Amino acid sequence: MKQRQTGILLTSVASFAMLASAAAADTPIRIGVPVGLSGANSVVAPSVVQSTELAIEQINAAGGVLGRPLELVVADDGSGAAGAQRAFDTLIFQRQVDALISMQTSAARNAGLPILSRGNVPYIYTSFYEGRSCHPNMFVNAWVPEQQVPPLVDHFNATYDAQSYFLIGSDYSFGRGMLEFTRAYIEEQGGTVVGEDYLPMDGTDWAPIISNLRGSEADAIITSTAGGAPNVTLTRQLRDAGIDLPYGNLAVDEGTAASMGSVAEGIYISASYVTGIDSDTNREFLAAMEAHFGDELRTPNDLSVPQFEAVLAYAAAAEQAGTTDTAAVIDALAEVTVEGPRGSISMSHQRHAPLTMYLGQVTADGGVEVITAFDAVDPGDQCPDL
Amino acid sequence: MSELAKEHPRAAVGDTGLWSSRVARRVAVLVVFGTLVLVAPWFLDAYTVNILVRAFFIAIVAVTVDILWGYSGYLTFGQAAFFGLGAYTLAITFSQLGFGPGQALLALGAAMVLAALLGALVGWLSFYPGASPFYATIISLVLPIVLVQLIYSGGNFTGASSGVVGYFSFPLMTETWFRVAGISMLAVAVLAHIAVSSDAGRLLRALRDNEMRCAYLGINTAAIRITLLTICAAIAALAGAGYAAFGGIAAPENAGFVFGTQLVVMVALGGRGMLTGAIVGALSIELASAYLSGILPYAWELLVGIAFVTVIVLMPSGLFGLLRAMAQRWTPWLFAPAPAVRLGDSAPKARESAVDAVVLEAQGVARSFGALTVLSDVNLTARRGELVSLVGPNGAGKTTLMKCLADGREASAGDIRIAGTPIKGMVPHRIVGLGLGRKFQAASVFETMSVADCLRIARSGRDKPSVLRSCAALNLPAAARSVVEASGLDTRFDEDARNLSHGLKQALELAMVLALEPDLVLLDEPTAGLTRSERNVFATILTRLVEQDRLCVLIVEHDLDFVRQISSRIVVLHQGKLVLDGTVEEVVNSPLVAEIYSGHQVTDDPAPTPTNTPEARA
Amino acid sequence: MGNLILDILTTAAILFITSAGLLIIFGVMKIINFAHAAFITVGGFAALVAHQIGLPPLLAPIFALIVGGVLGAIAEAVIVRRLYERPLDAILATWGLGLIMTQLITASFGRGVQFLPPPISGTVSVLGAEYSLYRIVLVGVAILIALAFTALMTRTRLGLSTRAVIMNESLAQGLGINSARVRLITFGVGCGLAAAAGALITPLTSLDPAMGLPFLIGAFMLVMVSGGSLPALALACLVLGGLQAIVSTYVGSVLGGLTIAVCAAVALRIRPEGFARV
Repeated sequence: MKQRQTGILLTSVASFAMLASAAAADTPIRIGVPVGLSGANSVVAPSVVQSTELAIEQINAAGGVLGRPLELVVADDGSGAAGAQRAFDTLIFQRQVDALISMQTSAARNAGLPILSRGNVPYIYTSFYEGRSCHPNMFVNAWVPEQQVPPLVDHFNATYDAQSYFLIGSDYSFGRGMLEFTRAYIEEQGGTVVGEDYLPMDGTDWAPIISNLRGSEADAIITSTAGGAPNVTLTRQLRDAGIDLPYGNLAVDEGTAASMGSVAEGIYISASYVTGIDSDTNREFLAAMEAHFGDELRTPNDLSVPQFEAVLAYAAAAEQAGTTDTAAVIDALAEVTVEGPRGSISMSHQRHAPLTMYLGQVTADGGVEVITAFDAVDPGDQCPDL
Repeated sequence: MSELAKEHPRAAVGDTGLWSSRVARRVAVLVVFGTLVLVAPWFLDAYTVNILVRAFFIAIVAVTVDILWGYSGYLTFGQAAFFGLGAYTLAITFSQLGFGPGQALLALGAAMVLAALLGALVGWLSFYPGASPFYATIISLVLPIVLVQLIYSGGNFTGASSGVVGYFSFPLMTETWFRVAGISMLAVAVLAHIAVSSDAGRLLRALRDNEMRCAYLGINTAAIRITLLTICAAIAALAGAGYAAFGGIAAPENAGFVFGTQLVVMVALGGRGMLTGAIVGALSIELASAYLSGILPYAWELLVGIAFVTVIVLMPSGLFGLLRAMAQRWTPWLFAPAPAVRLGDSAPKARESAVDAVVLEAQGVARSFGALTVLSDVNLTARRGELVSLVGPNGAGKTTLMKCLADGREASAGDIRIAGTPIKGMVPHRIVGLGLGRKFQAASVFETMSVADCLRIARSGRDKPSVLRSCAALNLPAAARSVVEASGLDTRFDEDARNLSHGLKQALELAMVLALEPDLVLLDEPTAGLTRSERNVFATILTRLVEQDRLCVLIVEHDLDFVRQISSRIVVLHQGKLVLDGTVEEVVNSPLVAEIYSGHQVTDDPAPTPTNTPEARA
Repeated sequence: MGNLILDILTTAAILFITSAGLLIIFGVMKIINFAHAAFITVGGFAALVAHQIGLPPLLAPIFALIVGGVLGAIAEAVIVRRLYERPLDAILATWGLGLIMTQLITASFGRGVQFLPPPISGTVSVLGAEYSLYRIVLVGVAILIALAFTALMTRTRLGLSTRAVIMNESLAQGLGINSARVRLITFGVGCGLAAAAGALITPLTSLDPAMGLPFLIGAFMLVMVSGGSLPALALACLVLGGLQAIVSTYVGSVLGGLTIAVCAAVALRIRPEGFARV
C-alpha cells in the first residue's frame, strides 16, 4: 500500500486534473474495440470497424448514453494471442475504456480474458465461434454450433435424404469444435459420419482428403475451415475434382462467396445475418452504412452486424443501469433487448443470445438466396455456471 | 616471467588488480540497473509496466538466442519452441492440478526438464561431426512447426489453436511481477555474461569462427553444441513459464515459428554477440511495437522488415554494436582493457611411447568418389623422430591422403592406425586425442579472436576451461612456445588473428597445433606463400621439433629444395598411387621422379591457389 | 488405388514445381533463399495482373517468370551480392526481403483472397479414376521444367559457365567466366521459377499475400535432402511426396502435413548426403 501512496504522490499534476474531470458530464464513455487489423482477421476487420463507427455515431447523434458521448478506441490485436494481450493492455490500462466490444479469433479472445479479469470491464464478444467460452464479464451475441449446424443438417436430411456425411475442416479450435458438434448432431438424427479429416491451417493440398471422400460414397459434405485461403482452396479443389454432392460450408460468408464466383455456386450456408433480410431495420441499416461510407463501404456481414448490435446493447444496458459501473452494466446486459438488422437480440441465455438463423444457397452470380429462416434458435447450454 | 613482464608492461598487472577494476565496473552497472528495475514501477504507468513484464521474459529468450547464434554461430528459430514448451507446461500443470506452491515448483521443474530433454534431442539431430550449419538452422525451423502442430492436435488438453487459459496463477500485483521479471532478466544476463567471458565461453566464439579447426584441436564440437542447446532450452522454458504465469495464457504463437523469427530479428537489430544488444533489441522492439503497431498496424511489419534487412546487410553488429563502437572511439576510458597475457610453461605431457615408436601405419588406403578413384592401395608407416615429405604433382592425391589420415570417415578402404589404434569411422576430434595434429593448407585460425585466445582454445583440451573464470595466464608446451617466440607472435597477443600477416597466421596455426602436444603432425604445404626468410625460420623449427621433441612430421610440400633440406624420408605419390618411399638420396636420384616431374612440370603450378580446395573454403 | 497413384504423382509434381527455384539457387550459390515464398506469391499476383491486362492464361506463368526473374535479379544486385561470405546472414536478409515483399503486395493488392478463373477445369478419367485434369497437367509441366533446365545446363554456354562455377569458382574465374554474372542470372532464374510456380499453382489454391508460405518448409527440406541436384530433387519429391500422400490418405492429413519435414530431418541425420549420390 505504501508503494501505491508513493506512486500517487509522484504522479504529475496533469493526472490530477484528469482524475478531477472524470466525473464531468461531458466526458466520453470509451468503447474499446480490439480487432485483427493485421493477420487472419484483417480481411473482415474494416467492415467491423465501420459498423462500430456507425453505431457510435447514431447513438451520439441521439444524445449519447447517460448524457455522455461514446468514443471509439480501436486497437490491433494481430488476430492472435500475443497481439490480443497487447491490445487488451492498451485499451484497459492505457486508454482506460469503459467497455470492450470485439470480433476476434478464439485465440485472441482467450488471451484477452485474463487481462479482462484484472481490468474488470464489461466485454461483448461479437464473433460466431465454437462455443463454451465463459467469463463473468463476457457476453456473446453471435451464433454457436447449436444454432448454426442443425438447420443445415435438417435441410440435407429432408431434401436429399442424406444418410452419410463426410466432414472436412481446418485443424484449429473453430474447425474441430464445429465438426465435433456436427458429428454428434448427425448421429443424433440417425445419420452416420463416414469420414472426417482435417488439414493444418496453412495446408493447401486437399487431394488425399478428396480421394478419401470419393471412396467413401458419402451423401453430403459439411466443411468447417478457417476463413479465407483454406476455404477457397478446398472449394476450388472439390469443384476441380468434379465433386457435386450437397455441400454445406460452415465458414463461408456472402463476401467470400461473391469473390469465388461460379465455384461457390450451390454451396449451402447457415448464418444469422445475410444482407437480404427483409426488414425495415435492416434496410435502414444498409442505407445508413451506404450513406456514411459511400465508396469505402465494406459489405456488412455476419461479423460486422453483431458488432453494430453489441454497441446498441451496451448503450441500452448502461442507460438501464444508470451508470457505467461494471457490475451494474453486466447485470443489465443480461436483461436488455435491442432491435438490430438481425431482429430482436437479447443475450439472456447464459450470456448467449437466441437468434434467427437463415439457411441460404449461393447462386450462380455469387449472391445468397435465403431458403428458410428459423426463428429464435436456442444457443443451448453454453455457460451453465453463469 | 620477469623477462616477459619487461616486454609487455601490462603483463605485470596481477589477477587481483584486474579483478577489482573489471568486476567493480560490472557490479556498479548491475546495482544501477537492479535499482532501476526495483523503483521503475513507481514512475511508469500501468500500461508500460504490463508491456515491460512480458518484454523482460522475452528478453530472457532473446539472450539465449544471442548465445546460440551471436556467440556460437548457430542460427536458430527454435528457441520459440522451448519458450512455448515452458509456457504450456506451466499452463497445463495449473489447469489440471490447480495452483499451489507444490504445483508451481512442479511446473517450473517439469518445464526445465522437458525443455532440456527436447533440447538434447534436437541437438543430437542437428549437430554431428560434419553437419552443415544450414541443416541445423532448418531443423530449428521444423521444431516449432512440429510443436505447434502437436499443440493443435492436443484437443482440450492443450486448448488447440485457442491456447490454455483460465487457470489461477501466482497472486502477485503487476508491480511485483515487474520486479520479479526484471530481476530474473538481469540475473540471466549476468550469468550469461560470466559464462561467455569465461575460458569455456571462449570456446563458443571459436566454434562460430571455425568449427573445423575446433574439431582438429581435439574439441568435441557436437557435444559442446548439444550441451549449450540443452541449457539454453531450459532457460527459454523458464522464461516461457514465467510469461504464462504472468499472462494467464499459453498460446500456440508463443511456441511458433513466427515468434522464433521475431527473436532473431530482435537480436539482430539490437546487436548479436553482445548480450546487452539482445536485451536492448528485445525490450525496444516490444515497447515500440506496443506503442506503434496499434497506430501503424499496416506499416509496422514493413518498417521492421526494412530495418532488419538494412541492419543485416550494412551493420551486422546491430544498433547497439554501432553505439558501442562510437562509445569506444569517444570514451575509451569507459572500457576496461583486456587482462594482459602472461606466458607460462605447461607441464609436459607424459609420453608413453618410445622415442622411435611407430605412430602411423596405413595399409591399402584407397579413396574414391563414385567411379573416380583418387587414391588406391597406399601403404605408409612413420615413426617419431622422422620427417616424411609427401611429394607429387597436383592431383596426385596428397591432400586426399592427409584427409584420410586425419578423418576416419574419409578412406573408402584400407586400415589406418594412429599410435596403434585403428581410426576407421573415427571423427577428427577423437583422432586428435590419439596424438595427431593437423595444419591445413590455408591458414585456419579463429579470425575474430586474439592470438592469445586462439592459443588458449588450442590448450582447452588439456587444461580444462572454467565456466566461471577467465584466466590471464597462457601456458604453452615448449614446442608451441618456441614457435610463438621465434615468429614474434608473443609481441602481438592482444591482436585479432585476422589482422596478422599470412606468414604469422601460418605460424599461429602451427603453434596451435603444437599446443596439442601431438606425436604426429600433418602439415599441408605450410610454406606456400611464405618469404624466404620465413621459410628458413620454419625449417629450423621443424628440424627442432623432429630431432629434439621427437615428433613425427608428415608434410606435403612442393618446393623440392626445401624438402631436401628438411626431410628424413620422402614419399612420392603419383596418380593416386604411392610410387616411391625412400631416403632423400634415393628419391632425388630416382629416374622415376625425374620422369614424373618432367612430364608434369608444365601443368604443375608451383603456387596453387589456396582457395581451390574444399578445406580452404570450409 | 488409381486415385492414390495419381495423388502421389501430382503431389510430387507440385512439390517439384514449387522447390525447383530454391534448388537452383542453393545448388549454384550455396545460399538458401528465404524469400522463396514471397516470390511464389509474386508469381500468383503476376498471374492476376496478366489476367487483368488480358494475356491468355497460357502466358501467365511465362509473365510470372519474367516478373519474378527481374525482381530476383534486382534483389541479388542490391542485397544478396553483399552476403556471399556470410551465408547465414543471407538467410536472414532474404527472410527480411520476403517480409518486405509480402507487405508491399498487401499494400498494393489488399489482404483479402483474390480469385482467378481456372485456365483448365474439369476431370479426366485416368487409371479408372475421375481425376482433376489440371493436376495431371501439372505433372507434365514438372517434367517440362526438369527437361528445360537440364537442357539449359548442358546445352548452353550459360549452363557450362554455371556448372564451372558450381565445381570450382576461382578456377572458373581464372578461365574468364564472370562468376558475378552467373550468380546474378542464377538468382534471377531461381526467383523467376518460384514466381512461375506461384502462377501455376494459383488455379488450385487461393491468391492472397501469404499464399507462398505453406510451400516454404517443404521446399527447404526437399532441397536439403537433394543436396542441390535436380534429379535428386525429383526423386525426393516422389519419395517424400508419396509418403505424404500415403500418410494423409491412411492416417490423417495433419500427420501427413508433417511427413516431409520430419522424414527429411531424420533422413539427413542418418545419411547426411540425403538423396544426392544415390
